[in-house]
Amino acid sequence: MNEAYRYFLLFLGALLVYNIILIRFIALCPFMGVSTQVETAIGMAMSVLFVMTMATTVSWISWNYILKPLGVGEFLYIPVFILIIASLVQFVEMVIKKISQPLYRAMGIYLPLITTNCAVLAAATEAVKPGFLKLNIAYHFSLPEAIIYTIGVALGFGLVMIMFACIRERLETSPVPHSFRGAPIGFIVAALLSLAFMGFANLLGL
Amino acid sequence: MDWSLIFKAVLALGGLAIVFGVLLAVASVKFHVEIDPRVDEVLDALVGSNCGACGFPGCLPAAEAVVKGKAPVDVCVAGGKAVAEAVAKIMGVEVTVTERGVAHVHCRGGLSESIPNAIYQGIDSCAAAEKIAGGGKACKYGCLGLGTCKAVCPVNAIIIDEDHRRVVNRDKCTGCGLCVEACPRHLIEIVPRKQIILVKCSSKDKGSVAKKICTVSCIACKKCEKVCKYDAIHVRKNRAWIDYDKCTQCGKCVEVCPTTAVVKVTAIRERKSREKASESTPAPV
Repeated sequence: MNEAYRYFLLFLGALLVYNIILIRFIALCPFMGVSTQVETAIGMAMSVLFVMTMATTVSWISWNYILKPLGVGEFLYIPVFILIIASLVQFVEMVIKKISQPLYRAMGIYLPLITTNCAVLAAATEAVKPGFLKLNIAYHFSLPEAIIYTIGVALGFGLVMIMFACIRERLETSPVPHSFRGAPIGFIVAALLSLAFMGFANLLGL
Repeated sequence: MDWSLIFKAVLALGGLAIVFGVLLAVASVKFHVEIDPRVDEVLDALVGSNCGACGFPGCLPAAEAVVKGKAPVDVCVAGGKAVAEAVAKIMGVEVTVTERGVAHVHCRGGLSESIPNAIYQGIDSCAAAEKIAGGGKACKYGCLGLGTCKAVCPVNAIIIDEDHRRVVNRDKCTGCGLCVEACPRHLIEIVPRKQIILVKCSSKDKGSVAKKICTVSCIACKKCEKVCKYDAIHVRKNRAWIDYDKCTQCGKCVEVCPTTAVVKVTAIRERKSREKASESTPAPV
């Protein structure tokens, strides 16, 4: 298989076919919580993209150069990755605060929320730990593969967040029966969206 | 039992934790941003609901402005006097609390007083109702009662009862003016807090027209104008207006008003107790 085509498939698989929210139902809490306005959804999506890519990079390095040689990765990967993500978010927050105040104000609220976000942990684990992800084109990721896969996951998250936020903004003014207002109709819409995304299954043999 | 595995696990996790700990410690020193400690103190003293009534995007920018001297210590509208005093104490200056007014809705017609000419079934927003041929009320100037003002009020001072009548809780209202901007019919005005004699109608319709569609509308009969000894109440554009500087709150105009469009506002507590005493005739507010 052509190398570039492989990367493309990996990206597409993460973005659509194995979409983190609608196909695998990870990160449902920000999906429901932060998707009431398009603006906040975009803010959250950008922050997730940023943190997820960095977390995967550092996790990949620590797995391949620390955990795997020591042989402790199988049972220690969750605490180590959480440690990495939490410190990284703190670190990034400090750097952004120093470098760019406007960016800090825009991202500031979302960064602490991501610290213990399951989507970030899931993406890091899948991209780093061999055999965790059931995607037959990649068993053991190299660093560029891991990064491309993570960007795909994060963009998939952002895509669905923004799409869902647009729908919810419309829902606000729609004649929804009183008992369905808010979260219930949100979940019904999410389920229908999920059904639509299942149409991507087997796309390009993925 | 493989003891070396435990040792390795401790080494890996402990080592990483120390590395990240040192990294964060270095970063916190290297990337330290100078913040005046008073900003945090002022921020704690403010209400913290980020209502935006002060004109700043939130409480943090307001606190920063106070510390820089770009805003007065009584910047927090929602907090009122208590917060202003706390902020002044932190900043080490005298309190310069300006007496703020209180919101007043210039319409009294609820569902039972004002006649509807349509049934409005849209979303609960006065702005939307106003767009669709002015909602369901026959009166083109009156309150729609859908609660846009109630929704923007940061201190929950506006109450709307089942009859769509608005009551402003004067003890809670801080006179921030958010509701003034929110009302699509421009019915709300910030009036001096001491003022208790107020006109509760905004109808520009002629008396005969107004009387047909609302039982509590001002009909521009000028009885109040004649009875006022202080030249404080006048009828212009088919409704009464009070000059708050001249008004001595004697209450003569309230007594003569045939439709009870001029009212004496009393504290909600008093009104409630009075309503209980005489259930048959609801007290005007």
